[in-house]
Amino acid sequence: MDLFEIIFYFFAAIVLVSALVVVLSKNIMYSAFSLLFTFFGVAGLFVLLNADFVGITQIMVYVGGILVLIIFGVMITTKVTGVDIKEGISGKLQYAGAGIITLLTAIFLSLMFINGKWITGSSTDVHATIHQIGTLLMTKYILAFEAAAILLLIAFIGAALIGRRKA
Amino acid sequence: MIDIGANFVSELYKSLGMFIPETVLVVTFVVAIIMDLIFRKYKNIAAFTVLAGFFVTGYTLFACNSSGYAFSQTIAINPFSQFFKFIILLTSIIIVIISFLSKELYAENRKVGEYYSMIAGMTFGMFLICSSTNLILIYLALETMSLSSYVLAGYTKEVKRSSEASLKYVIFGAISSGIMIYGISIIFGLTGSFDLLAINAKIATGNLSIAPLLVSGIMILAGIGYKISAAPFHFWTPDVYEGAPITITAYLSVASKAAGFAVLIRFVLLAFATPISQTQPVWQVFAGIDWKLVLAILSVLTMTLGNLSAIWQTNIKRLLAYSSIAHAGYMLMGLVIMTSAGVLAILVYFFMYMLMNLGAFYIVMLIANKTGSEEMDDYIGIGYRAPILAGCMVVFLLSLTGIPPTAGFIGKLYLFMAVIDARWIWLAVIGVLNSVVSLFYYVKVMRNMFIRGTDKTEEPLQFSRVSIVIALILAGANIYFGLWFEPIVRWVNECVKSLF
Repeated sequence: MDLFEIIFYFFAAIVLVSALVVVLSKNIMYSAFSLLFTFFGVAGLFVLLNADFVGITQIMVYVGGILVLIIFGVMITTKVTGVDIKEGISGKLQYAGAGIITLLTAIFLSLMFINGKWITGSSTDVHATIHQIGTLLMTKYILAFEAAAILLLIAFIGAALIGRRKA
Repeated sequence: MIDIGANFVSELYKSLGMFIPETVLVVTFVVAIIMDLIFRKYKNIAAFTVLAGFFVTGYTLFACNSSGYAFSQTIAINPFSQFFKFIILLTSIIIVIISFLSKELYAENRKVGEYYSMIAGMTFGMFLICSSTNLILIYLALETMSLSSYVLAGYTKEVKRSSEASLKYVIFGAISSGIMIYGISIIFGLTGSFDLLAINAKIATGNLSIAPLLVSGIMILAGIGYKISAAPFHFWTPDVYEGAPITITAYLSVASKAAGFAVLIRFVLLAFATPISQTQPVWQVFAGIDWKLVLAILSVLTMTLGNLSAIWQTNIKRLLAYSSIAHAGYMLMGLVIMTSAGVLAILVYFFMYMLMNLGAFYIVMLIANKTGSEEMDDYIGIGYRAPILAGCMVVFLLSLTGIPPTAGFIGKLYLFMAVIDARWIWLAVIGVLNSVVSLFYYVKVMRNMFIRGTDKTEEPLQFSRVSIVIALILAGANIYFGLWFEPIVRWVNECVKSLF
């Protein structure tokens, strides 16, 4: 096992364990905080795969933005902290059903990813990708770039509209 | 890597020339917002700006007759996309006009500037969907459309069911677009490209693993199926259609479905199939996965579920919601057979569907303006209280059922002819049986309007002259295109040719 694999399994373990905590924890605050580690682990995996830009974006957007929002949301709406998860037979059945479906999906996806023929990039050292991404955004994907701008404008106006008190 | 030089710049100029209608829409969107901020006193200033912008867009769309790929092959401008753009634009114009008459929208002195600018933004998103041939752009355009429609569905936010509709729409929409982008990522892993043509070339080699291709294809179909509310991705439809303002319900049921069908047809035919030959207008699915069967199952599920659920509805908006699900199912039949006659039938059907569905929702809106209700029971005796509008409603309902001499009949005729021609007899039989079921609940509305409650002596409802004229125009169009459908078919024929 070389260093690359050790680091990969390290991050993968972080992602898996913390994701399990997110789902299984009864306290929504714990879930929110362990989501932090999930995002962090995923960012590590991205960097490991030479996707430095995506890794940094992952940290900035998810850890820096979305997660803080989630935690604030949880803190402000006090009622959410003690959500009752269904007890009794029907609750257990739901757990079992969800567990089985998740397990089957996981097995299926794993088999699919292991057995499929995937396009793989060159494994030689790749330099920083930001330059290439920037060039692509301004050439081939310029329309997508501009469309994203409109999309954000619409999202802004929509958010303001929903947040506004009755006019 | 694309080389950036004089070549690229001239290419970009050429692309911009083909992109004028969309550019006008973006300008309209921004100007409408600014006008609304500057002239706060004039309530409808944004509406008039948007309307003017739509007419300019229509003109540029009409004038733009170049076709080909633009923006490094991320979008394709051709008569096929032009057709759907015309449908969407026409719907948007009609929706803006009938929004002026909506009482629920203007209730409590609400500010409506953003409502109209959001419609412009949504139209831009839908235009982009119609012409994108790149999965990234398709996703972004779908999101542009969805985000504006989430906001529009919850525009009357102090009405509880409207906010509820918006929230449900957001949550289901987020899940479906999440599934879709996961599918896109898998297909990228398989083919190494987002470009539909490149994906097609890769699949054509037959050198791909079947399971991931099937999974990713179904995931992407789920994302698009959500937009056209095909079963089993239709759960949101009745609740959202019931809760949203009626104008927006009508808009969602026509325009966003048109965009969904445009991208669905393009995606399936461009990525998963190839024309057998130039002369023979039939597409052939690549060996491995029987997409025709997948689509056939989707189609049968959609129309059967839609029609059977519609029977039990007591709210007319919910009834029309289920009926629109059923109509999506009929139109999917045209894609199943993958012949140019099938695509032609979808396009013709869509034109007719636009006329009849907008009309039906318009009448529901006018009646809700006066009676404040959308329940079926409150339609009892409407035929005597508002005879002209009820008469128009009968035309729209007959058209939705597909009874001659209305537009809906022509749509169904072409569709079933194409399906039978392609020897999918069992599918055609299910379709016809479904149409018979649909007659039942459409007639239920007519019965409530005319046959029940004749003894009631409630005073007649008064409508403004403009609103009646619009209703008559829509009803007239339904009959006109039911009789003189030649021009539409000829136009659509040109559009379908461009898909080869």
